[in-house]
Amino acid sequence: MGLGSVRSGMAAAVVIGLAVAAGGAIAQSGAGAKAVAARQSNFKQLGQANKALSDELKKGSPDKGVVTANAQKVATLTAQIPTWFPKGSGPEAGVKTAAKPEVWGDAAGFSAAANRSSGEAAKLRQVALGGDFDAIRAQARATGAACKGCHDKYRVPEKR
Amino acid sequence: MAEPRAVEAAVRAKLWDGPTRLVHWGLVVLIAFSWWSAETGRLTWHRWSGYAVVGLVVFRIIWGFVGSGSARFSRFVRGPAAVAAYFRTLPNRSPTDVPGHNPLGALSVLAILALLAVQVVTGLFAVDLDGFEGGPLSDRVDFDTGRRFAAWHELSFTGIQVLVALHVAAVIFYLVYKRNNLIGPMISGRRSFARDPGLTFAPAWLALLVAVLAGAFAWWVSKGLRF
Repeated sequence: MGLGSVRSGMAAAVVIGLAVAAGGAIAQSGAGAKAVAARQSNFKQLGQANKALSDELKKGSPDKGVVTANAQKVATLTAQIPTWFPKGSGPEAGVKTAAKPEVWGDAAGFSAAANRSSGEAAKLRQVALGGDFDAIRAQARATGAACKGCHDKYRVPEKR
Repeated sequence: MAEPRAVEAAVRAKLWDGPTRLVHWGLVVLIAFSWWSAETGRLTWHRWSGYAVVGLVVFRIIWGFVGSGSARFSRFVRGPAAVAAYFRTLPNRSPTDVPGHNPLGALSVLAILALLAVQVVTGLFAVDLDGFEGGPLSDRVDFDTGRRFAAWHELSFTGIQVLVALHVAAVIFYLVYKRNNLIGPMISGRRSFARDPGLTFAPAWLALLVAVLAGAFAWWVSKGLRF
């Protein structure tokens, strides 16, 4: 963790140094900020799909179309997660982000955690097509647990 | 309003009935438990705790209309003039002889009940950051609205913390400055009066009936207002 933050700190220094040298400091920091905004909007879509799915699954007789559509959305978005964290979109981007420096400092661990989530989400999409709502509920819980596993390690907890 | 007077030739008499005390201490436990379960992410327990609060608050509100004398809003909620008059007697160090909530404390009761109602209602519609967790009515609102409810839920809890701190400070003030122990009567139900206040108490069957109604309502809420 110490090494990770030193490394990301150095990375940030290098990025800023290069940017200033190129006379494009504003453009560079803008790219990081833009990536943060895009990431947040993507995660929000994921949250919306999660909610739509769990709302439907709460019903006694869920609509299979709504369930499969949202399971599909969750799987597609979750598979994209690793691409939402380009270098420079961490705390050094200069805008508020809940992404911890460890996302980049412990890239292998982050990648493994993200893959676990997308693996469970892919399974969720499969199970959803089967139409067994109890099995879908169980797989939705497993997916949520995998997502949480990544959040617990790589996301700054919400301020309470 | 009864003149604040020293308690001399004391008569011990019943002040708070069982249901009122049970609601009081139940809320103490549930507010603490709700706080802890939210902080540690135990949302299933947090929801159960919230439903129990719904039951207690609904019970207390109904009990405030049909319950025992000392629990009735009509007996202890007073106008601004009475509140101001009571406020002026606060520096007086002798214990007061008001049987039950004084006019100032009445405001505290109303504020705590109102904020608890806000707290449970906002919780019913709240959605977490990831769309995994939500109150039983959160499927009636979209993600953004649910997040807004979550923010209000958070804000109103800060308000509850302030009211609880004020309440505890007031109880300590009465204990230390006015030498008036309010905690004992809230546990035993009895306290000393200069003379018998002649309070009336509601029968147990009525408390049971109201408890069943409040419990059924809380259950219905927990099911998202669906049967």
